[in-house]
Amino acid sequence: MEIFVQVLASGLTLGAMYAVSTIGLALVYGALNMLNMAQGALLAFGGYVCFYVMQQLGLPAPVGVLAAMVVGAALGLTIYLMVARPMLASPAFETQIFIATIGIGSVLQSVILQLFGPQPKAQPMTLPGGVSLGGVVVPWQNILILAVAAAMLAGVAWLLGRTRAGLAIRATAQSREAAQLMGIRIGRVYAQVLALSGALAALSGIMVSSLSGLLPTMGADPMLKAFVICVVAGLGNVPGAAIAALLLGILEAVIQYIFGVQYAFAILLALVIGVLIWRPYGLFGKRQVVRL
Amino acid sequence: MTARRRDILLSLGFAALLALVPLVFSTRYIISQITVFFIWGLVVTQWNLVLGVAGIFSLAQMALFAIGAYGTAMLAYYVGLPLLAAMPVAALVTVAASLLIGFACLRLKGAYVALLTLAIAQVIYLIVVNDTACFTNPPSGCLPLFGGVRGFSRFGDLGFRELLGSKFYIGHYYVGLALLLAAQVFCIVLIRGPLGLAFRALRDNPGYAMSRGVGKLRYQLWVFGLSAFFTGLAGAFYAANFGVVGPIVFSVSMLLFLLAMIVVGGMGTVWGPLLGAALLMAADEGLREVGTFREIGLGLVLAVFVILLPRGIAGLARKTEAGGPASRAGTGRKQVADSSDAI
Repeated sequence: MEIFVQVLASGLTLGAMYAVSTIGLALVYGALNMLNMAQGALLAFGGYVCFYVMQQLGLPAPVGVLAAMVVGAALGLTIYLMVARPMLASPAFETQIFIATIGIGSVLQSVILQLFGPQPKAQPMTLPGGVSLGGVVVPWQNILILAVAAAMLAGVAWLLGRTRAGLAIRATAQSREAAQLMGIRIGRVYAQVLALSGALAALSGIMVSSLSGLLPTMGADPMLKAFVICVVAGLGNVPGAAIAALLLGILEAVIQYIFGVQYAFAILLALVIGVLIWRPYGLFGKRQVVRL
Repeated sequence: MTARRRDILLSLGFAALLALVPLVFSTRYIISQITVFFIWGLVVTQWNLVLGVAGIFSLAQMALFAIGAYGTAMLAYYVGLPLLAAMPVAALVTVAASLLIGFACLRLKGAYVALLTLAIAQVIYLIVVNDTACFTNPPSGCLPLFGGVRGFSRFGDLGFRELLGSKFYIGHYYVGLALLLAAQVFCIVLIRGPLGLAFRALRDNPGYAMSRGVGKLRYQLWVFGLSAFFTGLAGAFYAANFGVVGPIVFSVSMLLFLLAMIVVGGMGTVWGPLLGAALLMAADEGLREVGTFREIGLGLVLAVFVILLPRGIAGLARKTEAGGPASRAGTGRKQVADSSDAI
């Protein structure tokens, strides 16, 4: 029972962190067909901005989180304006934006390295202590991460499902041309989506760094996992991505417990490849009529 | 003169010129730098086959290179094979690995392939780095099966040290040159031949190509397997040249550097990747003074080229010709046959 609670708690925490950054990726892919390879660097940037505001400027935690999300949103917007928009019309957009964002990600990561140095730093945005659940102490930090992630997911669900902006985003994701013909300004939708995904990445970066510490390269691993989750759920499927993130988080915790940490990702990936051979369009992806 | 014959003659001409270099410049530094260019040239010409000509966004190429390098080192270290024998065996192992990766990934398309190949490369890296159990205990200390973070060293050399003494690096230079010449001629024959046509047809208009009897999985597996041979050999030669193989071959900055070579030179063109490799290596050499900004510069170059000049420098030279991944859309106007003459 104690082990069960422990594995479940760490699995849910992992899943919640993955979910927040995965949703950002899924939104962007759904709306623009764009895989944002700079996401990992945005994650790290968010973590470092929060660190800077709290440690260097001595401001309270909510200000740090807010500042990180604003900077993340601004970076996302910049990526849209400077990188994505000029090549939107290109027929090879998907490949080109992939390569371009690899470059942007490397630039951002190097900027962090120049500003903060290569030494690992501790994220000040943490809660001490824990609560006893079924004989196991679960840190408040994990519960905070779960709560923030749940609030964030609910917020995104509300935004997509209940607002006009969300309606526009969903319409654009379904069909760019039809949305445009209905008078939706798709340029603005794209800008909103990238800003939102940047803010979510920053938040996710704060969560990840509060558990594992800050490093300029810290975003690479969560980004890769977020991508794998996106692929399992079916690229661009937002609710599917949230479910898949929680499932894979718990699965990872179980694998880590049974086989050890170093094999977790390898086993996870083998399972993912199995899933994709069984359902090439992802667990929750819709079967497309034309699949070439 | 057909394009194929022209390009092969050009390759032979360039190779002849490069063969004269050690006679003119005897500085070890220049010779070894050009040898490194041969290695990266080998990798980018083969990666370009997959990425540019066949249009498959595979990021596993550096992992294949690593398999070639590690395979050579491990065969020489554990089995005691001479490097000359270990290199082709490692290259064949790379082909097998590539086909396996292809089977797992090529049923998917576009972005899915990129993500899955990247994830596979990362897993191979993690398995190498995270393994800390001692497999053997040489005098230098505990050695895991895949070398761990330290990697392999002292697994022998190509024998030029006994043959040429302190001038052994000139031997490596000619081996690299011969390999690159073979790889480039192989690429030209492939790109300008019927297989290349099939690859481009599948890239430009998969529906039409498949309805004409070009099987997608089969031909894409072909390009995966064929390009893996010289990639593995490049890794094997890397191991032989440096005498050390470590996890640095998996690093993101290496991947970025090589990808930038292909993009800057021109994806899907015959000469672009080599041109890009030469340019970027020269630029890298010039930027050595400001080393800390190297990654920023590389990232910017990559982004700026994709945004402003997606077909690279080679694409600039032949703007009017069809072909290259930029014309992938395969609209009714641009038919598959148009792009048969790649640059």
